[in-house]
Amino acid sequence: MNTLLPKEFSALEGFADWALPTSVERNRKRLGSSMDEITALYNALLPRTEEILAYLDQFSLEEMPQDARRLLRLALSLAEISIAVELFHEPTVTGGCDPSRFVVVHEPNP
Amino acid sequence: MKTVMANRRWIKDNLDLGTGPVPTDTCTSPELFELERDRIFRRVWLNVGREEDLPEPGSYIVRDLAIAKTSVLLVRGKDSKIRAFYNVCRHRGNRLVNDEKGFCRSRFVCRFHNWSYDTQGALKWISDESNFYDIDKSILGLKPIAADVWEGFIFINLSPHPAETLAQYMAGMVQQIHGYPFDQQRLMSRYRVEERANWKVILDAQNEVYHLPFLHITYPDFCPLNEEKFSRILNFKRFGRHTVYSVECNPDHTMTPVESVAIRVNPRGGEVHPSMIGWFDFYTVFPNFCMLFLAGTYLTYRIWPIEVDRSVWEISLYQPATSKPSERFAQEYGRCRLRDLLQEDASNHEAIQASLNSGALTHFQLQDEEIQIRHFHKEVRRHIFGEQGDARAIAAAK
Repeated sequence: MNTLLPKEFSALEGFADWALPTSVERNRKRLGSSMDEITALYNALLPRTEEILAYLDQFSLEEMPQDARRLLRLALSLAEISIAVELFHEPTVTGGCDPSRFVVVHEPNP
Repeated sequence: MKTVMANRRWIKDNLDLGTGPVPTDTCTSPELFELERDRIFRRVWLNVGREEDLPEPGSYIVRDLAIAKTSVLLVRGKDSKIRAFYNVCRHRGNRLVNDEKGFCRSRFVCRFHNWSYDTQGALKWISDESNFYDIDKSILGLKPIAADVWEGFIFINLSPHPAETLAQYMAGMVQQIHGYPFDQQRLMSRYRVEERANWKVILDAQNEVYHLPFLHITYPDFCPLNEEKFSRILNFKRFGRHTVYSVECNPDHTMTPVESVAIRVNPRGGEVHPSMIGWFDFYTVFPNFCMLFLAGTYLTYRIWPIEVDRSVWEISLYQPATSKPSERFAQEYGRCRLRDLLQEDASNHEAIQASLNSGALTHFQLQDEEIQIRHFHKEVRRHIFGEQGDARAIAAAK
């Protein structure tokens, strides 16, 4: 495996560890990251979000090449962490309950 | 905007709800909790799932309802009809099905002595049958529980003789919600949150938007605010025991950059279905089922009492089925933001319960924007104390 993301988005390769397959993992990574790490991802992805989504829309969720699927997962991490950046200004839900109290019984796929 | 900003608006049409403080005793008293068990949860219709949870003949789910001390087996029979049974073998009472959900090819088999039942509840096999005395399989099917479906939602009633049909129980609401495209929505997330709080403390916390500008960083200004920056709902309506309150979307609400992208790429995510009253409609279906319609999304809560100060809040989020990655992104954004919002809400429940347990508070003080809570507690008290009122019944309970 030479590339993780589609070549148009190779500049984002450094953030590929955020391309996690499940919402639980993306949430856990947000909660376990520093604000600097989260903000770096946000700043790198936000200006390219619509470009990323237009690229992904060439495919359907059911049939997508692996590199595009990784890009989708990266974009879904932006959805996850943007709330920390834009609203809470910290990784966790400010004043919220312990997030582990929300036991996930069913989660979206992908 | 159509929202009226005037003060003390809702009481005018609901004078019977009164304006006095509301007692907290049903949130702390073990005796009253027992009355709730017998006079509410063992008598009224309870939501336990949706039709999609039982996709094909043979599909089953098991719901353990601690409040009714009952394990319920829900199964779609070979005839496609959904039925509910006590999850109990008729031989000596063993729990029949242990899995939470599954598919039954032909028979439910009790592990204890191999008694077997078909998907319609009939007893089909008794091991060593000829060694019993005058046993009649035809009257030993699984013990049925009344079950019916309303707009795709499966309800059960644990009373052997329900006082009303489900259609009667839901009267009025049928017309309101009819036509909502439930079949185009799919389950995206389900959370189970076990909390040291009375079930009504959890429900009350959701049953108003007065708290919104104060508690929620996630949505500080999504609902219309008056000149003093206090929230106002668009509508409050009662359907017998049930209620709905509705909220318009504040057109001036602050949009974040990613929220703007989500709305641009997924305009249908913001569409309000004609069956909706506002941009956000919150139905409380008595006693413990809530339906929340939020533009293109809907959620349900089932708030299950375990003990007087312990409950399980089951949150299910439904979003339109999609194959389009950009829509999936927008949905994920909405989903994450809602989850965080609910985690803000959950921060309070246990603290409130601890305060109530201390005895520091005997009554809740409720304002006009909390009329939903007033109605709800009145219904709870009416069910457990009867129409004759509180005083005598409280004395009797003590």
